[in-house]
Amino acid sequence: MMAERRLSSREESLLEVQVEARLLRVKMVLLGSSGVGKSSLALRFSKDEFKASAPTIGCAYLTQVVCLHNARIRFEIWDTAGEEKYHSVTPLYYRGAHAALVVYDICKRESFARAQLWLKELEKQYFPGETVVGLVGNKADLSDGRKVSLQEGYRLAESKGLLFMETSAKSGQQISELLMTIAERVQKSTREDRGLVEWREVESVGLHQGERPHPLGTCCLVGP
Amino acid sequence: MSQKSERRGIHVDQSELLCKKGCGYYGNAAWQGLCSKCWREEYQRARQKQIQEDWALAEKLQREEEAAYASSQGAQSQPSLTPFSKFEEKKTNEKTRKVTTVKKFFSPSSRTAPKKAPCEKVEKVSGARERHGEALLRDLRGMFTQPWEMMSPTEESHEGKTPSPSISRQSSIETDRVSRDFVDFLKNLQKPGREIHKQCRAFIENMANKKDLGADELSECVQDFYQNMSDRLMTHFKGSTERVERVMDQVEKYIMTRLYKNVFCPETTDDEKKDLATQHRIRALHWVTIEMLCVPVDEEIPEVSDNVVKAITDVIEMDSKRVPRDKLACITRCSKHIFNAIKITKNEPASADDFLPTLIYIVLKANPPRLQSNIQYITRFCNPSRLMTGEDGYYFTNLCCAVAFIEKLDAQSLNLSAEDFERYMSGQASPRKQEPELWPQAGPGGGGGSSPGLTQVYQSLDLLTGLEARQERVLEGARGLESDLISWQESVEREVQEILEKYPLEIRTPASAIDSDNVENDRLPPPLQPQVFVG
Repeated sequence: MMAERRLSSREESLLEVQVEARLLRVKMVLLGSSGVGKSSLALRFSKDEFKASAPTIGCAYLTQVVCLHNARIRFEIWDTAGEEKYHSVTPLYYRGAHAALVVYDICKRESFARAQLWLKELEKQYFPGETVVGLVGNKADLSDGRKVSLQEGYRLAESKGLLFMETSAKSGQQISELLMTIAERVQKSTREDRGLVEWREVESVGLHQGERPHPLGTCCLVGP
Repeated sequence: MSQKSERRGIHVDQSELLCKKGCGYYGNAAWQGLCSKCWREEYQRARQKQIQEDWALAEKLQREEEAAYASSQGAQSQPSLTPFSKFEEKKTNEKTRKVTTVKKFFSPSSRTAPKKAPCEKVEKVSGARERHGEALLRDLRGMFTQPWEMMSPTEESHEGKTPSPSISRQSSIETDRVSRDFVDFLKNLQKPGREIHKQCRAFIENMANKKDLGADELSECVQDFYQNMSDRLMTHFKGSTERVERVMDQVEKYIMTRLYKNVFCPETTDDEKKDLATQHRIRALHWVTIEMLCVPVDEEIPEVSDNVVKAITDVIEMDSKRVPRDKLACITRCSKHIFNAIKITKNEPASADDFLPTLIYIVLKANPPRLQSNIQYITRFCNPSRLMTGEDGYYFTNLCCAVAFIEKLDAQSLNLSAEDFERYMSGQASPRKQEPELWPQAGPGGGGGSSPGLTQVYQSLDLLTGLEARQERVLEGARGLESDLISWQESVEREVQEILEKYPLEIRTPASAIDSDNVENDRLPPPLQPQVFVG
């Protein structure tokens, strides 16, 4: 907790010399019961694969860079253990996170209930607007076994003012859209006074020069 | 007297148990025969000395560095830097301080007894009984927990905590090396390098005076220093994060190597108590199996068990590092080995659902020394951005989760009934001891459900029994052989005696010359003559 306080004081001082078109490091945490496809989602985010064929040894920590029109965002995706017995230690994971995705399986009623629990937990930790929280219904390709309707998910998200999307890690449906939306929201939230840990590039420029690096176009770099 | 007591074995003279300083409390062999209080004072003094030595070295290095600058840059380098007089002043300050401490060292009072001794005596006389009891308890704890509990915390702490001269020299060699590396590194940075070095030195000096501060304040100081330094570097390097980070890494390394002894597990905190508690807890959980934690690792596969062993080694190694970042690197290496182990077992990339239980299992198996102190130290003195984000941060967070989980672990989290959990925890039963009748029947090798370790123990026991029987047989044979030999000797003697008696020795008259009876000698051919052939 102390580290967090320190971090924000550091961020503030960094913000003073902030330049646009920088690389932002965004910590994004995936929450949800086990078996809802958090790791598959993470894998999809970073490699655009379903089951890794490449020599990935783990998909617990993955990264992906997303380009917006005036910033690049480097997602650091933290997978968490979803089993109920680890519930009590999970706050350690989302401490200091800029984005949190609560994932449920649309074919499992019970995972939706757990998702609600997670959201409540998150609310205790964050004030709205500070951390981008998203609700994700995964396994949208298995519409036959659907137990949680689209409206239900949508209503829950709306009531809490959250981002909502149904995705399929298996088919890749809506994955890049989800990531882009989060990126935009995160970027927006950094404009307000809560900053991000910045990862300045070598070529980026101090205040004195006053020149801006050429803005990068909207290049969606989701996937390889 | 000491010999006598040694011979008797257990009996030890009362006076030998007492602190060598003669303060009246009990001493402990692990503390070189001192009581914990005198030991701490003794050690404090050694530490003070170490700091002084470090200062002398730092000063030397600084002088070297200055000389190097003077020769490489000529006269132009000085004016732009901070006023020289200030630096001079600092130097003299330092010198006077050194003189006083040196005096302190050689003054007789510090030799015979620490300053605190008299007041301690007063305390004893006015002696609140509970205080004495507390001290006794403390000493008793030292005495009885020593072989197991005290070992792991102290064993790894040679670097910082043992005032024996050879070891403290060793650690100062390490600080020397780090200092030299730091100076070398800063040389490449030219002018700012010198400034950085000066700042760091000043900071360390400053910190040496703040020993009484609580751990949180110390952490605050260090973090503020990091912050200021990186801000200044940021303006200097015109915002090049990469270069700033590189310099900051070196700064962290230099500073934390120096401060380590003072700020790791400081006495103002209860870190040590927590260390011991965690250690006890992990030891009490020795019976937890892979199956209970649902660890997706199959140790039967040699490659997997190899990775498990490496992971355990890495997490234990963490304690031996001084720089927070190096400690983090150990955790990351441990995690990579875990990922490998899972990947080989499951043949697919490990998710957090696989990773966390395995890490918990590794921590339980390794019981890393001073785990809580290390976690606290990293949290307090590492660059915060490294802990909240980045790969190292992720693995560190997982380790924190694992420790938190182990602390809270209950029957439910192991899928056990509350009664079973209680029985295992209290040591009344062990998950493997539930079917003790199985073993004798199953015999070696056929251990069925019992663990491979136990099977091995039983095999070894059988082997030992077999060996014992064989030795018995060999001894029997040897004894038989001995008696055989004796009886053989006797029988031979008897026989000889009998023969001697049967055929008593009689001396006949000597016979005449051999040739005299030969009548036909003259018929023999003449003896052969040697012939010489030429050519």
